[in-house]
Amino acid sequence: MRTTRILMVIAAISLGAGLYLTFTSPTDRLQGEFTRIVNIHAPSMWVAFLAFGVTALASIMWLIFKRTAWDRLAEASVETGVIFTATGLFTGMVWGQAVWGRAWDWADPRMASTAVMFFVYIGYLALRKAIPDPIMRARRSAILGAIAVIQVPLVYFSVNLFRSLHQTQSIRPDGATMPDAMVVALLVNFVAFTLLYVALTAARIQVAKAEEERAAETVPAGDAVTTPMLSEVEDV
Amino acid sequence: MSFWDQAVEIARVDLQVERRIGDVLRIILPFAVVALLVFPLALGIDLAAITRIGPAVFWAIGVLFGMQVALRQAADDRPERRDLYALLGVDPAARFVGRSMSGSLLMLGFLLALMVATLLLYSPRLPEGWPIPAAAAILLTSIGLTELGTLAGEVTAGLRNRTALASLIVAPLAIPLVLGGAQTLESLARDTGILPWLLLLFATDLALAVAGVGLARPIEEASR
Amino acid sequence: MRLEPVGANVTLDEAGVSLGGLVVLRGISLSIGPAEVLGIAGPNGSGKTTLLRLLATLARPDQGSGRVLGATLGTAEVYAIRHDIGLIGHVPALIQELTLRENLQHAARLAGEDVSRIDRALRVVGLEAAADRKVGQSSHGMLRRAETARLLLTRPRLLLLDEAFSGLDISARELIDTLVERSVSAGGSVVMVSHDATQLASRADRIMHIASGRIEAAA
Repeated sequence: MRTTRILMVIAAISLGAGLYLTFTSPTDRLQGEFTRIVNIHAPSMWVAFLAFGVTALASIMWLIFKRTAWDRLAEASVETGVIFTATGLFTGMVWGQAVWGRAWDWADPRMASTAVMFFVYIGYLALRKAIPDPIMRARRSAILGAIAVIQVPLVYFSVNLFRSLHQTQSIRPDGATMPDAMVVALLVNFVAFTLLYVALTAARIQVAKAEEERAAETVPAGDAVTTPMLSEVEDV
Repeated sequence: MSFWDQAVEIARVDLQVERRIGDVLRIILPFAVVALLVFPLALGIDLAAITRIGPAVFWAIGVLFGMQVALRQAADDRPERRDLYALLGVDPAARFVGRSMSGSLLMLGFLLALMVATLLLYSPRLPEGWPIPAAAAILLTSIGLTELGTLAGEVTAGLRNRTALASLIVAPLAIPLVLGGAQTLESLARDTGILPWLLLLFATDLALAVAGVGLARPIEEASR
Repeated sequence: MRLEPVGANVTLDEAGVSLGGLVVLRGISLSIGPAEVLGIAGPNGSGKTTLLRLLATLARPDQGSGRVLGATLGTAEVYAIRHDIGLIGHVPALIQELTLRENLQHAARLAGEDVSRIDRALRVVGLEAAADRKVGQSSHGMLRRAETARLLLTRPRLLLLDEAFSGLDISARELIDTLVERSVSAGGSVVMVSHDATQLASRADRIMHIASGRIEAAA
């Protein structure tokens, strides 16, 4: 509990610093103010990959050790990862609309493959939601988590291959040469987003624990029933 | 309890159950958006083509995946629930109307979300003043598609492969809805008058409503 | 519009039912008067449940005829009397995703009953503490109690119980007995079926034995 709170505070402070640098660093001549969006876009995408990587690892660990903690970590990490993927996709679309006049840049394969990855983990969460039994849920989602980590790189590879056959020019918010101040801002944001990921995942694990405890406190099915009040039947 | 009270109560509980299961939001909508993503990948990067096919892909995917919305798990009455409704004195027509109300609301939300995704992914070129005709077309299509899906769901209630079977029955019957929906914007772009298409949609909705209410009792008995 | 029964609440005359090409019931004739409890005993697969569904107007006779609460079976007349029939079947007729209380509220609203009576009904059946559990988290006994509460609310004139006492503890069985007594004292008819004739012996005014879809003996 305490550790989570401390993590939150540290994440908040570093995010504040990142945000400050984002708005004080110089901008690119061609893209103007929209350069700044890279400070949210790129760290979000990094955290998304980190989160899904952690999920894959936690899934495999669950399959080996069958410890509830691994399942909680997998679940928490997917939820955080999905939020950051959505943020990354959204900022990418805002940038595309502003600079390019099209929200979706089909010429950049990363956009499509990131979206596919996003839906893989939306499916993962839907699967979890559909299984009430905790052990069965952990087992099946660990299997899917492990399959996803094998399949997602293939998705990336296939989409990249597809793109190389349809070579077109594209400018992205990241990748261009940047002035030093922009690089510093970006680095600070990478650190801040990573800390935020750790804090959010830890908090989500706390919630999962609390939910499990609450479920365990519920009176067993039989005990919830009291003796019928037969004498009151006529009052109904 | 009056006919309308029963219909509203059934719609209310239907939405409550959907909120708890989340089939539409958690499963069907993401699946449909993935389908939107697959088309351009299959087509190859041709931005002009992607822009052009946007609305067509929306209607095709909207109708096909809309069937899944209409046939979602929450709308599947297990036999014991059908019996319960019968013995509570629920008018089978009220059940159809209630189901159509809750389903249309979900379908409308589904199609609107899909429309936003299409706008973002395909950047389609849209004629001036498109939002109101598009909203009207989507609303009327939602109602028709839900009525059709509800009827097909009843005809296939309790059968194996229900979802696929009902989709097979509905897809060809949904042609007027696809045409009406797609041609509304097409006519707006060509300035040839959108009214015939909106009327086609309205007439389809009305015909299906009459069929649903009129056939409610035979349908109710068909599963016995 | 309520159709008043003449004499008996239920009559069947040589009624037969086929399901999926199989003859399940044949030549069934019986009559049940007001304030009468009829027990039907028979082995598994003898057609007990189908007979109960025929009486509930949920199955239609393809031979012979029958009248339930004044409505001729197999005609549209049954729509007018269905709300007067209460059934406890094998599978609880409850919506999985709702709580027990929400299920009762739904049923009460659809039946046009006063929702404010639900709390009292829950207390009477001993479900006050468990009312906010979802159906999926409830035991067999809790679901039976919830169904009993529903029947207390809707006060059916024809009460049909399909193995309703199986798997229940004493207090739950007493509860269903009380439901039966209340129904009888209001002039209603009750039909209970079971594979176990001893369950029926103390409860029914009359017991019929059914085998292979035919009535074998009446006691």
